[in-house]
Amino acid sequence: MSKKSLFISAVIVAAALAPFGFEPKGHSIRVLSTALLFAAAAQSWNIVGGLANQISLGHAAFFGIGAYTSTLLYLKLGITPWAGMLAGAFLAVIAAIILCIPTMKLKGHYFALATLAFAEVLRVVANSWETVTGGSVGLSLPYVNPSFIDFQFASTYWYYWIILVTLCVISFVFHYISVSSLGYKLRAIRENEDAAEVSGVNSFAVKMIAATTSAAFMAACGTIFAQFNYFFDPESVFNLPGISIRVAMIAIIGGIGTVAGPILGAIFLIPLEEYATAAFSSVAGLAQLVFGCILILAVLIQPRGFMAFCSRKKKKPQNSDVGAEVGQ
Amino acid sequence: MRTPRLLEAKDLSVVFGGVHALDGVSFSVGYGEIVGVIGPNGAGKTTLFNSLVGLQRLSSGSICLAGEAVTGLKPHQIAKKGMTKTFQNTALFPDMTVRQNVMTAALSHSVQQEAFEEADEILSMLNLTPIGDADVNDLTFPQKALVEMARALATRPKILLLDEVMAALNPVEMDEVMRVIRFLIQTCALSILVVEHHMRAIMALCDRLLVICFGRLIAEGTPAEIANNPKVIEAYLGQGSGDADKRDKVNRHAQN
Repeated sequence: MSKKSLFISAVIVAAALAPFGFEPKGHSIRVLSTALLFAAAAQSWNIVGGLANQISLGHAAFFGIGAYTSTLLYLKLGITPWAGMLAGAFLAVIAAIILCIPTMKLKGHYFALATLAFAEVLRVVANSWETVTGGSVGLSLPYVNPSFIDFQFASTYWYYWIILVTLCVISFVFHYISVSSLGYKLRAIRENEDAAEVSGVNSFAVKMIAATTSAAFMAACGTIFAQFNYFFDPESVFNLPGISIRVAMIAIIGGIGTVAGPILGAIFLIPLEEYATAAFSSVAGLAQLVFGCILILAVLIQPRGFMAFCSRKKKKPQNSDVGAEVGQ
Repeated sequence: MRTPRLLEAKDLSVVFGGVHALDGVSFSVGYGEIVGVIGPNGAGKTTLFNSLVGLQRLSSGSICLAGEAVTGLKPHQIAKKGMTKTFQNTALFPDMTVRQNVMTAALSHSVQQEAFEEADEILSMLNLTPIGDADVNDLTFPQKALVEMARALATRPKILLLDEVMAALNPVEMDEVMRVIRFLIQTCALSILVVEHHMRAIMALCDRLLVICFGRLIAEGTPAEIANNPKVIEAYLGQGSGDADKRDKVNRHAQN
């Protein structure tokens, strides 16, 4: 076993044992679980935002689809949220295809605005379609007997572990994609789409695979969010700053395009946000101001995210005459 | 019976608003042939290349590659059929090493391990193995040009379009790149279409030349024919000076 694998295994074991240092129903374990859930969501975003450089500001759409699909299936048809999670992921994939066909050719802020608009449309629909979604009142999950099949647990520990497993799965998939042929193609598209195309890379298909994978995982995170909080409304799951911008910010602050970046970003940002809210609640808006200033400072100090501190120095070529004796 | 041609372009036109960047350009390239494209700045040479590989949509015209129509196909589809290009100012993937750049192109037809091996073979062929793990941002311009050619070769092209691959090279470096191009023609059974401003290089390298001016093909022939073509002299030096004087200037330029 390599040193790297040993280190990763040790971190996962330590993370799995971490809840025992907290009260099973305390606030701290909820904050930690929320941080890991947003790390998982940011990792999902990282597949399309980090690897393909398609900066989406509409990932709340997939998050909300996951939350509403599983909850509605559970409330109306009694279908287990686990199956609902798969159904939500499937619907998110369909939504991603619908979104991507017209928008994938867009670049930079044009793509960001198109995705943002898509999430906003879903938020308006969820608010207006009261007979199905409950409208602005939102949906509440009744607390029945704790059971795995109902995705309900008496202790927050279980939610934490499920979120941890989700984060590990998404991180593994992210890593697998980044070192696979799909990852090389995504990086090529990110660096220069024209050059990638003339090198035989089908940029549309590659970006579509990344976007649908990302959307499916984001929907799974939405389902877990709904089960974890027992209540949500359109403003909480289709929220632009609360979900779309937050997951992008977490990945960017931590290190966009890296596997550890979203995890570091979430562990830094979510507890910090909680702390700022608690510490500066006396004056309205002060918490957000302090939190915003810290974000600006973090971006100014290291625009490439925390992971840039860990990146190794680039290797210089040894021989400038290389390539000078071909065919001789 | 007419000899089969690898690339046949007929009446290619590209219109931007009211401007004809290409206006009814027709030509062909044979198997194993090196054809040069010359013309003043803004003549439409890069637009022609972009149209051939699918990066620029044609307003009208048709392109056949090895007898198969490729008009309107996406660049990646055209690359898989055997036509790709290098970029004027090089467009390597800066976040990758030299080997990864080449391997990414080989992934268009091979699985990862095979692509990796193919990239190594190409790097070895072009004497680039020692810089295989180097960051492309740290390369010199001639090295970047060679890596870009290596990446293009990894798509297994039948015809390679080289867009000013010798720009910014000194005469020694230019000779080396010309040697690489001749080497590729001999060993890889390639045809090459090359845009170049260095007249000495293009006269020495090419079997045939196409001259484009204001989007139109104004002359076609061997380098010797082109050097003495009055239309070409006119396009490069304009009206006013005497014919003998102009011819001398073009020929002097070609020798430098």
